[in-house]
Parts: sequence; structure tokens; C-alpha cells
Amino acid sequence: MTGPVGVGIGWRPEIAGFVAELPGLRFVEVVAEALAATGPLPDGLADLRGRGVTVVPHGVRLSLGGAEPVDPARVAHLARVAALVDAPLVSEHIAFVRAGGLEAGHLLPLPRSREAVAAVVANVRRARAELPVPIALEPIAALFDWPDDELDEADFLTEILAATDASLLLDVANVHANARNRGGDPLALLDRLPLERVAYVHVAGGAEQGGYYHDTHTDPVPAEVLDLVRELCSRRRPPALLLERDGHYPPAAELRAELDALAAASGHPVIT
Amino acid sequence: MTGSDLAARQAALVAALVAAGPLPPGFTAGPVDAARRALLRKRGGEVARHWPLLAAGLGPDWPAVFADWAAGRPGSGGLRDGWDLARALRDRGVLPPVAAEELALREATVHYDGRRHPRPRRLPAVRRAGGAVAVQLAGRVRLLRPARR
Repeated sequence: MTGPVGVGIGWRPEIAGFVAELPGLRFVEVVAEALAATGPLPDGLADLRGRGVTVVPHGVRLSLGGAEPVDPARVAHLARVAALVDAPLVSEHIAFVRAGGLEAGHLLPLPRSREAVAAVVANVRRARAELPVPIALEPIAALFDWPDDELDEADFLTEILAATDASLLLDVANVHANARNRGGDPLALLDRLPLERVAYVHVAGGAEQGGYYHDTHTDPVPAEVLDLVRELCSRRRPPALLLERDGHYPPAAELRAELDALAAASGHPVIT
Repeated sequence: MTGSDLAARQAALVAALVAAGPLPPGFTAGPVDAARRALLRKRGGEVARHWPLLAAGLGPDWPAVFADWAAGRPGSGGLRDGWDLARALRDRGVLPPVAAEELALREATVHYDGRRHPRPRRLPAVRRAGGAVAVQLAGRVRLLRPARR
């Protein structure tokens, strides 16, 4: 199967009907943990595979940034799901989700230290040894920093990519969120990232709440994020961009308009 | 920092975020507390996907009811968290009727001991919650009586 191309959307059961009717769709992403390793695929997803739509399993619970070795059972699940959908690659996060026997429930940031780089690199290599396809790594959005960062975000990510064969899943909404909440210039970050390593891009909506910008995936994509898509594409257009929507699903017309805006901002063909 | 230091510091941070642990040294309280509250909202959303009538029955009170119950209580996944919360509300007599029916139907079809992952029942079962009565036979379940309204 070919790698992700063009504008895609995160496949979720709630919007399976909407996704099935996108005539120009060539790729979707599916949350890896939501699929049974032994199959069968949900009907909507199986139909998309039948149409030749690329499906990328996106893991959210591997905890590649955990100080402990990644759980072999979770890697095996991701590997089986990748085979099940005949995926060209899988993706996961540069983050940790559990420690000391407790589940955080979502992605947590790592200290930007050489030890954390080493932990991620070791886990990516462990995972890669069992996976049938390459992996793309996604930097996350966070509200806080660790107190003793040794590296800035660009160097932290570049060191991880340099020490692995992973590609980059760049989330433009996360770039916006981090700049808004933790400071830093988002355009300067784009200038320093190895954009030739980008496999595809995430775009999502968010909302201001309590003085922070929250990357909710349940709100509209803000204009600032679409501006960043344009800035990114003027530097180097990624092969694919994917809209993530995880709840509070809007009417179909609004979702189509967001996909169209993404196509317009990136210069990729309209898929609606 | 050694690997074990990183492990210990990650554990301390997660404990602060989900188990009412102290703020680890050097972190700024405001942003970490914002992250703690964001995690509760994410968890609440996941529970609502597993227990749609629990969330719908509580309506506008859902986010606050879930956050009050879940704060300082480490998560066990959306299915078990919602189950534990529904039972807690049932025991306090404040489970909304549609949520009581959802709980009764779930209890009749799936066995959950409050500690291990729930598993399907093999034998017929009758379960009650808030006046609702659900009966399951050979995997087919139906509501014999609706909850008190």
C-alpha cells in the first residue's frame, strides 16, 4: 500500500458514514487500540480498504517515552493491526502515558533531556524490531514544561529522529498550542525541524479555557492553525495532512468545509 | 539523571496528576494543575463514550460530577471508571433513571467484580438498579421494568 497522500481524516465509528461518502479520500488514520488485533475490521473501515484507501494505525497507549521498556504485548497489538489493514506505516507519540503503575489517561510530555532522548530511542528501536512497517513519531501538545530541559524542542526532536529511522508526524495544532501555552515562536520551530522527514501532518481544533489553549479535537480548527499549515507548506509541502476530530461532531457541511479549508491551505486536491 | 531517576520522576509526576500526589520539585503549579484538570476532562469524555446514558442522564452536571468523583482517583479505563461511578451514584440513590437502566442492562450481560476487567456472563441473569429490572438469557438482554422516574 502507498504512503499517506493528500487530505485525510481520522476514521471514527461516529463519523464512518460521513467518511465513506468522501469521493476523493485516499487515506485515513484509525486509533490502533480501538481495533481488535484478530479482526474483523469495522465494516466502514473494511469498505475503505476495499476501495484502496490507505489506513494508518495511530497508537496512543504505547508510552514510547516511558523510562521503562515498551510493553511487548502493546507492540505486538500494533504490529498485528498494521498487518490487518495492510498499513504502509504506523504512528505513535513522543510522550509517556503511565509510570509507577499508574495510568495518566493521556499523553504527557517528556523532559527535553538527553536521558529522555535515549529512553525514546531505545523504545522506538524495541518497537521497530517487532513492527512490519516503519513508524512515524508525533510530538505532543503540553500545558507545562519539566524544570530542567537541556534541549529546546527542535533539538530534542531532531536528536530523536537522527538516532532512529522514524519519520515525523508533525501536528500543526500542537505546534500552535505549545507556542501559545509554553512560549516560543512557532515559525522558528518550523524553520528548524527536519521537514524532509515529515510523513504526514495532523490538524485539529481546540479552544481557549482557563487561560490556556486546549488541543481538544472537539472544536473547530482555528484560523491560526490554518495559517501555520500555509506557513509549513510554503517551506515544504508535506505529502499528506489529516484532520483529527474526536467528538462534538459538527453537521456534515461543517466538517466538509474544514476538509476543504485544509485542501486550500495546503494546495492538495479537494476530497469532498 | 540516570534511567531510574527518569522513571522515578515520571512516576512522581503521574502521581501528582492523577493520584493527588505532591507537586514534584521544580514544576510550576499553575500549568500542572491545568494539565490535571485537562486529564479529568479527557477521562470524562472517554467514560461518556462507554456510558452515554450516564453522561446524558446527568446532563449539564456530568463534567462536575465526574471530576468530583475522579479527582485523585487513578483511572481504570473508560468502561470500568464509568461502571464504578454508576454504582457509586446508585448506592447514593442519585443515579438518573436512564443511567440506572443502562447500568441494569450492562450488569445483566457482563460480569464485573470491581477489580478485574469485565467479562461476558455465561449464565442467565437478572439485575436491578434504581427500580429498573434487566434480564439476560443466552446473551439476549431486555429491560423488564423501567427505572423509577
